[in-house]
Amino acid sequence: MTTTPTEPLADTAASHRSGTGTPATRVIGIAAVVAMGWLIAFGLGFSPADRDQEEAVRILYVHVPTVWLAYLAFIVTAVCSGLYLFTKKHSLGFDRVAGASAEIGVVFMALTLVTGMLWGRITWGVFWQWDARLTTTALLFVTYIGYLAVRNLEGGHQQRAKRSAIIGLLAVMEIPLVHFSVEMWRSLHQDASVADPTGDVKMDGLMLFSLFVGVIAFTLLYVWLLLHRSRGMAMQDLIDDRGLDHALDARRSEGVTA
Amino acid sequence: MSDLTPRTAGDPGVPAPRRRKLLPIIVLGLVLVAGGVIVTQFLRSAVDYYCNVDEIGERSGCDADRRLRLQGVVERGTVVSEAGDTAFDITFNDATVSVFYNGEPGGIFKECIPVVVHGNFDSATDTFLGDRVEVKHSDEYVAVNDERLTEADDLADECDTGSV
Repeated sequence: MTTTPTEPLADTAASHRSGTGTPATRVIGIAAVVAMGWLIAFGLGFSPADRDQEEAVRILYVHVPTVWLAYLAFIVTAVCSGLYLFTKKHSLGFDRVAGASAEIGVVFMALTLVTGMLWGRITWGVFWQWDARLTTTALLFVTYIGYLAVRNLEGGHQQRAKRSAIIGLLAVMEIPLVHFSVEMWRSLHQDASVADPTGDVKMDGLMLFSLFVGVIAFTLLYVWLLLHRSRGMAMQDLIDDRGLDHALDARRSEGVTA
Repeated sequence: MSDLTPRTAGDPGVPAPRRRKLLPIIVLGLVLVAGGVIVTQFLRSAVDYYCNVDEIGERSGCDADRRLRLQGVVERGTVVSEAGDTAFDITFNDATVSVFYNGEPGGIFKECIPVVVHGNFDSATDTFLGDRVEVKHSDEYVAVNDERLTEADDLADECDTGSV
């Protein structure tokens, strides 16, 4: 955290930027919107209804990509937490990406739970069942809400980064438990269809294709959100640091005038 | 030299001390409570043993005199709905159990689909009295039209062999 006098915010080059976007993020954003349109077309239009689940199967194209992206987001959080903790520089950039990724992961996980409950009500006949997959997923969701709460506790940026990095590394260990819970316990939840360890995919071709469209669309959305949110966090940290610098400047000027 | 000694609360122009951030602490408390509830519910739920039909009396915990979650496939031609009650047979590995459910099963309940029935055995009638029926759909996703195509292919095969 710097204590050197700084320029007023209005005079800095950074303040002339109107947001966190760049040409690259704009391209990713447009690609995400196009892919979402593609997903809607395939998910609701071109893909067939399922023999047993009928039209309810279309929830699959949102439910599965969101849970995969939540896993990916939490893994990115853990990797960046590790990079923060175990590199000499202890760069806050890694901490911000970790935090931004966890926030997006929590949103995706919430979407997974909501779509899963709707799907469950239609197909199983119940919104919720305390079986292994659902329980461990709920626990994962709650753990990362805790992670975000810890990030917002009092303290400096390095303190925040250190304590949240430790939790980020511990929390990610829940993911294998969630994923393999359907094999470890007898569960109402169906077994993994695409990420089946045997590699035997039991899914109609167009359904599988629509699912991949969903994964691509949500991945682009994740990357776009991650870039914007981590830049937003960097700006917030900058404002916090400058606030302290200005306070110190004000104190110095009081001493000079006295 | 600037005077950078800390200000005291009595100094003019000293802003009110920042209040501690309460929201993250409240959220952390709620997270701990929610985590406890989730684990407790999971453990309580695990009290109902999850058994396949052929494991009754065979597998540890799958005793007929206790509350069970019983899994099996609804046998074709056995579903009878009468006055809001539903009776059907479920089968697993050649073992069959008759189920009586005081209601209409929800979800995508139908013949030839796996279900999980919560309930107890009635020793007098040797029927499983279910108070909750959940439909366990498989990890297979088959296009509805494929089935029609398969049926058409089967008919065509039968036609070729002269059986139709």
